[in-house]
Amino acid sequence: MVDLLLQKFSEVSFLSGMPSALLFVLAATLIALPLFMFVAVNALVAVYAERKISAFMQDRLGPMGQGVGLHAGKWGLLQTVADAIKLLIKEDIIPALADRKLFILAPFILFVGAFIVFVGIPFNQHILVADFNIGVFYIIAMSSIGVIGIIMAGYSSNNKWSLYGAMRSAAQIISYEIPLALSLITVIMLVGSLKMQDIIIAQHGLIWGILPNWFIFNNPFTFIAFFIFFISGVAEVNRTPFDLPEAESELVAGFHTEYSGMRWAFFFLAEYANMFIVAAMTSIIFLGGWQSPIPGFLNGPGWGLFWFFSKAGFLIFVMMWFRWTFPRLRTDQLMQMCWKYFLPFSLINLLGVGLWDLWLN
Amino acid sequence: MIRYFSNIWQSITTLLIGMRITLVHLAKARKGIVTLQYPEERWPRPERNIGFSHDSYNVIRSRLHVDMDDCIGCLKCERACPVDCIHITTVKVEKGTDIPEANHVGITSYGTQKRLLVTRFDIDMSECCYCNLCVYPCPEDCIFMTGGPNSSKQEIDYEFSEFNRSDMIFRFAKVPKDQVEKYTPPPKEKVKGDVAG
Repeated sequence: MVDLLLQKFSEVSFLSGMPSALLFVLAATLIALPLFMFVAVNALVAVYAERKISAFMQDRLGPMGQGVGLHAGKWGLLQTVADAIKLLIKEDIIPALADRKLFILAPFILFVGAFIVFVGIPFNQHILVADFNIGVFYIIAMSSIGVIGIIMAGYSSNNKWSLYGAMRSAAQIISYEIPLALSLITVIMLVGSLKMQDIIIAQHGLIWGILPNWFIFNNPFTFIAFFIFFISGVAEVNRTPFDLPEAESELVAGFHTEYSGMRWAFFFLAEYANMFIVAAMTSIIFLGGWQSPIPGFLNGPGWGLFWFFSKAGFLIFVMMWFRWTFPRLRTDQLMQMCWKYFLPFSLINLLGVGLWDLWLN
Repeated sequence: MIRYFSNIWQSITTLLIGMRITLVHLAKARKGIVTLQYPEERWPRPERNIGFSHDSYNVIRSRLHVDMDDCIGCLKCERACPVDCIHITTVKVEKGTDIPEANHVGITSYGTQKRLLVTRFDIDMSECCYCNLCVYPCPEDCIFMTGGPNSSKQEIDYEFSEFNRSDMIFRFAKVPKDQVEKYTPPPKEKVKGDVAG
């Protein structure tokens, strides 16, 4: 997409005289701005949805109001806007004994780690910033940058709760990366490509005449791999059954205990961006991405966006559903689940998919 | 090994049971919500049966109300009040005549001819101790607790909350603000019994 923009720029007379480095920065900014807007709007909508869904699941009403200017607007629609304004105008506190440079840098590293992943996510047939031939590998690698930000935040805060949270987070993310990657490899073995669009196009058509040929339905091993991938993804973004790094009842707020105002908002933005990434990756790799459930039916570029966002949105809903249903795991239970249950099963999956591919196709 | 697989089976089934419960609550969100949006919605007031007629007994001492058209300014309630939360100022006017510009009615509903114009009748409900002692001496039955024998005259406001503390001082006098000075007597002839201030 950057190349496409640069090509367009060369046709415009007043831009052709500029140095190429400047044009590249301009093109990259033009792409990054809508992506940033998307991440921010995604957080706004997801926060509102989360508050409402959690409220309804607990027989409450959630944010409510009687109109603009009264409380939070009709049905509390302005609640997240009010939250955002509150965070923007809040005092920015840096503890006196904190490691100042790392403390300031940490939320941005975490956010960049989440934001940079959006480069590789195909929203539909055409909207994709860069279709790398190592797309899946790129996304897995970049989404692991976030843990550095978390450790930096925990270390630099000079607070035991923050450090505990950061250490837990590091242990958790490194552990769950393994079943996550192994489940991905099952699909990559079937496709034979790491390119995101190739993985989606490989899921075209029907299987057994009724089900869409998505990898979740492809064979029993990928069916299990879907669940391992999704649950490991939820664990990677520190969502509630696995929210040990920010366990309120144990660690105050975990690694972001000492943060306030806009710096805290960046942690929040990164969390919701990561949530969207996990949902999007699961829907691309196992649920056919922008492919319609019925092949050839409503499969244009616009409908591609619709299918992609409805699949990702459903998975985000499932994550919220998890959050408001399950209690938090203990650290030993968390590790047991990863190493004693997910890891053997993903290894068996890997073998099973290999044999399935060898004998049945 | 059996324990390993039974663990998996147990965790999957129990998690699904939990998820079904929350989904059912989400699906029934319109019916089962227990939140009451308080200032806009209120619980209905329960009917109370105390064994005898409500007309002769204050079922609820919810707040004091004064029917100013019947008030003759006798100050009996002010003297009865143990916490001095009632403040009354009166001015002598012509007996039994209406003064329309001061919203003054000359004759009460019991037929008494008024001699005094009440320019100030403040009750500070944040000081009131709900003892009901001001109600009994009133010769015209014009001061009463809503919810009591005169409850038909005033709707019961049982929550009885205000956003501002100064709103807890209820001003019952009906004389318009611009007319008050006209009826304020010179300091020398200050009406006896005016303990307010």
